[in-house]
Amino acid sequence: MIPFRSSLLLCLLLVFFLASCTDNQPSDEADALQIAVIPKGTSHQFWKSIHAGANKAGSELGAEIIWQGPQKEDDRQMQIQVVQNFISRNVDAIVLAPLDARSLVKPVESAIGRGIPVVIIDSGLESDQISSFVATDNRLGGALAADHLSELLGGEGKIIVLRYQEGSASTTNREEGFLERIREIAPGIEIVVDNQYAGATIEKAFQVSQNLLNRFGDVDGIFCPNESSVQGMLRALQTAGKAGEIQLVGFDASESLIEGMRDGHIQGLVLQDPFFMAYQGVQTAVKVIKGETVEAQQNTRVKLVTPENIDSAESQELLSPDLETWLK
Amino acid sequence: MDKRLRKTLMALGPFGGLVFVFVFFAVLAPSEFVSFYNIKTIMTQSVIVGIAALGMTFVIISRGIDLSVGSQIALGTVVVAVILARGEGEPGLWLPVAGGMAGILICAFVGYVSAIFITRFNIVPFIVTLGTMQIARGVGKWIGMEQTVPAPENWLNNLMLIDPDPSWLLFAPGIWIALILMGISSVLLRHTIFGRYVFAIGSNEETARLCGVNVHRYKIIIYTLCGILTGIAAVMQFSSLTIGDPTSAIGLELDIIAAVVIGGGSLNGGEGSAVGSMIGAVLMAVLRNGCNMIGVPTFVQEIIIGAIIVGAVLVDQQRHKK
Repeated sequence: MIPFRSSLLLCLLLVFFLASCTDNQPSDEADALQIAVIPKGTSHQFWKSIHAGANKAGSELGAEIIWQGPQKEDDRQMQIQVVQNFISRNVDAIVLAPLDARSLVKPVESAIGRGIPVVIIDSGLESDQISSFVATDNRLGGALAADHLSELLGGEGKIIVLRYQEGSASTTNREEGFLERIREIAPGIEIVVDNQYAGATIEKAFQVSQNLLNRFGDVDGIFCPNESSVQGMLRALQTAGKAGEIQLVGFDASESLIEGMRDGHIQGLVLQDPFFMAYQGVQTAVKVIKGETVEAQQNTRVKLVTPENIDSAESQELLSPDLETWLK
Repeated sequence: MDKRLRKTLMALGPFGGLVFVFVFFAVLAPSEFVSFYNIKTIMTQSVIVGIAALGMTFVIISRGIDLSVGSQIALGTVVVAVILARGEGEPGLWLPVAGGMAGILICAFVGYVSAIFITRFNIVPFIVTLGTMQIARGVGKWIGMEQTVPAPENWLNNLMLIDPDPSWLLFAPGIWIALILMGISSVLLRHTIFGRYVFAIGSNEETARLCGVNVHRYKIIIYTLCGILTGIAAVMQFSSLTIGDPTSAIGLELDIIAAVVIGGGSLNGGEGSAVGSMIGAVLMAVLRNGCNMIGVPTFVQEIIIGAIIVGAVLVDQQRHKK
């Protein structure tokens, strides 16, 4: 008898739990636009900024933002299911950061087929039916890093380009943007290696970096195209006692990378603007719903942060965006 | 009153749970929840876990466990994609058939290898399949060269379309396949000697052996059969992703085991049913879909599914005390 009661109790608790969770939806605005925003995951700092930016756009434009990540972080199947569920729910538009350029095509196109416009943010989707693609201009970001590194080295010296991972479109664009610019502006700089990959984890990046530094210990500068590869390279430089001697320019930021910059171990980081990316994504979705024309491709800003400008207002806005206000 | 409620709840079992959850969301969620399109969506989303759960049902009834099924599915999708990518030009009819068969065979092989280690060397299934889980995942990444494997457009991609083509099918072909497999599994378990032996081994392995059941041979058949069904689930997974993804289905084995347990399977062996396991899979899909519909955050969904699993076992225990 007792266990049965307790299981009934469990059910009741669940009911209350769910009921309390649904309370925060504004039910009085029945005719407000519903826009689903689907990130790749929910726990990284990057996605928190995306969430905050979407909420800001939602509250300014009077749209209800429904935030729903895949239940398992970085799981393509789960993200497909979330898109399908929003099609069923018949939201007014979907803003999606696809985990895969191909496997999300079918669900996205069936959303469009049922009259739900889709705006893609952050990374690309191989479909020509989407309303718009809002993302960082990664080539430009790579070029910014190239300008900075060439300036640091006075236009000559040897450098390493540590690539991130095969098949990752955004980082490949950063690498190509960097290489193109450095060849163009600094013919005196020799790229001693540009075909090694850091891999997805910091640990692997660390090992590859150590191997490269052992082989090419006499380089003057290094470029790494994302957070984990910079992190791995930074640790390798630190353990080899070469941090600060070799100029390191990277992409993205985290607390330990900022600390590295303050210690003088990192000379430049190119930052993206996820907050504005989501803001613009939602804004674009609302425009599409209202029948306005939108540009097929929209670039959001990139900014180079250096030890000199790290405390400026603009850098701080990117490094620690105002999340509190928009993520109650 | 309480007694009568309890009696009916018990009699209905997992199906009652499914109805309860469905009605619950039908009341709370927006009206789109009960639309035909959404019901098709939920059913399509149950296919992968459902088919794999059918295989797991055999294993769990025989008092075993197979933790490698999630990795098997990932490996299966990679094998299907690699074979499809080999062909030149349009894949046509037969190349996808070959790819699908190869995906199913590789999963069956993983199941077979696990069973060999379990029976020959007498290692507990939990440990063996913990190992084959890692091995299958690693082999998948190896074959896929640590990347997702793109495949050309082919008819396998249509197996999991929510709006099927041709439209007179009404539901995705994957749903029909799942239902047919459920029927076959149910008949196998309830009406064949093989099924009797599965239950006998799970209820009391020693007694079954003394009664002349070749326990080792049947265990090998059970795990291989589980691999075959998991392989079919892998083809469905490929169809849904349209690529081979060695990092897919991480942790899916837990969903699959949960489906069997919610459906009345007991980890102590000797109990479970194919229909129940399928209902368990649908129930979890309803929960996820319903939570998406009413906008519940992801972490709440995880808590709820966990609570449902514990609740299902509690109800099940009650049924046994009677």
